[in-house]
Amino acid sequence: MQPALAWIGRTYGGARVSASDDQADVERVLAGNVDAFENIVRRWQSPLINLAYRFCRDHGRAEDLAQEAFLRAYRALGQWRKDAVFSTWLFALATNLYRSELRRIPAGIVSIDDVTEPKDPRAEDGVLDAEDRDRTIRRAVFTLPAKYREALDLFYFHEMDVPAAAQSLSLPEGTVKARLFRGRELLRGKLKESV
Amino acid sequence: MKDDELDRILSEKQNLVPSSAFVRNVMDAVRREASLPAPIPFPWKRALPGLVLCVLALAAMCVASFRRSGPQPLHEAPGPSFWTAIWTGLSSDLIGLLRAANVGGLGWIILALVLTFASITLSLRLTGRRS
Repeated sequence: MQPALAWIGRTYGGARVSASDDQADVERVLAGNVDAFENIVRRWQSPLINLAYRFCRDHGRAEDLAQEAFLRAYRALGQWRKDAVFSTWLFALATNLYRSELRRIPAGIVSIDDVTEPKDPRAEDGVLDAEDRDRTIRRAVFTLPAKYREALDLFYFHEMDVPAAAQSLSLPEGTVKARLFRGRELLRGKLKESV
Repeated sequence: MKDDELDRILSEKQNLVPSSAFVRNVMDAVRREASLPAPIPFPWKRALPGLVLCVLALAAMCVASFRRSGPQPLHEAPGPSFWTAIWTGLSSDLIGLLRAANVGGLGWIILALVLTFASITLSLRLTGRRS
C-alpha cells in the first residue's frame, strides 16, 4: 500500500471510489460548476467529521469544523497541485484547520483523575473491565500535550500509517515517529496505575 | 501495556454518522461563497512606484538626519548610536516643521489640502474609479 494514498479506492464508510473521481469533480468545480463540489462533500464528509471528532470529542463541534474545512477547501481548490493525491491535500488542510481552531478554543479539558476513575459498578478491586479500560485509554489520549495527542490521533486515523500522518501534520516522518514514541510513553505513564 | 494492545484500542473507529443536513449546510455555505463577487486584488503594479518613492524618501530623510548630526570629534566621549542619531535628527525635523506650521499657518494649510487632494485622487485611480 502506498502510504500517502491510503484513502484511494475506498472511503471511510467503505464505498469504493477512485482518485480520478476527485480529480474530475475538482476540474468541474474549477470550470464553474459549483454543484460538483457536492460529490466531494458526500465522499469525504464522514472522514473529515471523524477526524475532527478525534481532535475535539464533540459531535456538534466536529461537524462545524468539518464544514469550515470543506469551505476552505472550496476556496483553495485552485491551489491543489495534482502531483499530490486530493485526499492527502484535503486531510492536510483539515488537520491544519482543526489544530489551529483547537488551539484558539480548546476542547473541554479532561482531568486524568476523571479519566482513571472507574465508572462501571461491575469493576471490582480497582480492576476495570475491558470496555471501561478501552474508554479510559481513549480519554487518556485526550489529556496528552497537543503535539503528542495530534500525532497519535493522526497515526491511528490513518490506520497506523506514519507517512500519511506526517503529510497531514506537515511534519517530517522522523518527528512524527519521535512524537508517537513519546506520546505512547506518556500514555503508559498515565495509565500505569489504573489499567 | 503492550504496543499491540494500545494499537488495537486506539485504532477503533468511532464511525460518526454525519447529520442529514450536513451536506446541505456545506453546499449552502459554498454557494454563498460562490455568489460573492471576486475580491479585488491589490494593484501592486500601480502601487509599486509610490511605495518605492516612499521608501526612498524615508531612506533619504534618515541619511540626511544622520549627516546633520555631524561627525563626532575623536577626543570626545563616544557619541550617540546610529539609531539615536537618526531619531534625534528626525525629531528635530519634526519640531522644525511644527514651528514653521505655527509661524506660517496658511502655507501649511494649503500644503495639507493639496496632499489630501493628491492622496484621494491617487486612491481613486488605484481602485479604477475616476472622479
